[in-house]
Amino acid sequence: MSDDDEALLEAVAGAYRERGPRGEVRSHPAWHDLDAAGREAAWAAAAESRAMEAALDPGGLSSTARAVLARIRRAG
Amino acid sequence: MADLDVHHPAIAASDAHAFGRWVAAAEPELRVSLRSFAAVADCEAVLQEALLRVWQAAPRVEPDGRPNALLRFAVRVARNLALSEARRFRTAALDEGAFERVLDDVAAGEASEGPDPLLRRAIEACRDELPEKPAAALAQRMGAGGAEPDELLAERLGMRLNTFLQNFTRARKLLAACLEGRGVALAAEWR
Repeated sequence: MSDDDEALLEAVAGAYRERGPRGEVRSHPAWHDLDAAGREAAWAAAAESRAMEAALDPGGLSSTARAVLARIRRAG
Repeated sequence: MADLDVHHPAIAASDAHAFGRWVAAAEPELRVSLRSFAAVADCEAVLQEALLRVWQAAPRVEPDGRPNALLRFAVRVARNLALSEARRFRTAALDEGAFERVLDDVAAGEASEGPDPLLRRAIEACRDELPEKPAAALAQRMGAGGAEPDELLAERLGMRLNTFLQNFTRARKLLAACLEGRGVALAAEWR
């Protein structure tokens, strides 16, 4: 895998996602630039990162969970 | 094994802390349920959208006498969102096996429980051994909690985006290797 592909993979494996005009969670733009193997690898990297984040968080929350809860609290 | 429906009444009453406890335990199962969609939909986006919809729909989800009614509902919501995304992007057909297995597991009350203190200590020890720049990239993403784009995190560290992502990749791989050396397969925790 090239450095550029690896950077795309790591970008997709992160938890940040933009919101659409109706507040919906949007796919990461880099996801569309990955081939099937790259998308599978990004899924695995995300699972690994979320497991680590949750293990380090006192409440067991990953970045995914924290992003969702922040959004709920902002809306409330 | 845990029945996460213990949190359901509080979630239905809009208790975000209870939802946090539920998400902490439910997320691994939900993520695994989406594995077969990894090549055809952005599972991170699907998962976050599914969790938001579960929060909104929780007061209307009825217990059915089996464990984890809310988690089974969440698995279905996530699957339907992933199918919808796959159709929108005109991506390929899917293996339904993983989804069905997760549904069976959660209906049997086999959802995972909270964080493992031994795992936490092992990760902290490995994190402390990281070189400076990978450690900084890791700390930025951990601190951001999925709320800030990588471009902003990279800028804070005075790095170009690609350099930031390369440092994060290095951190993730070094951590995985360090943990493996301690007999911990991090990926296996959530797969």
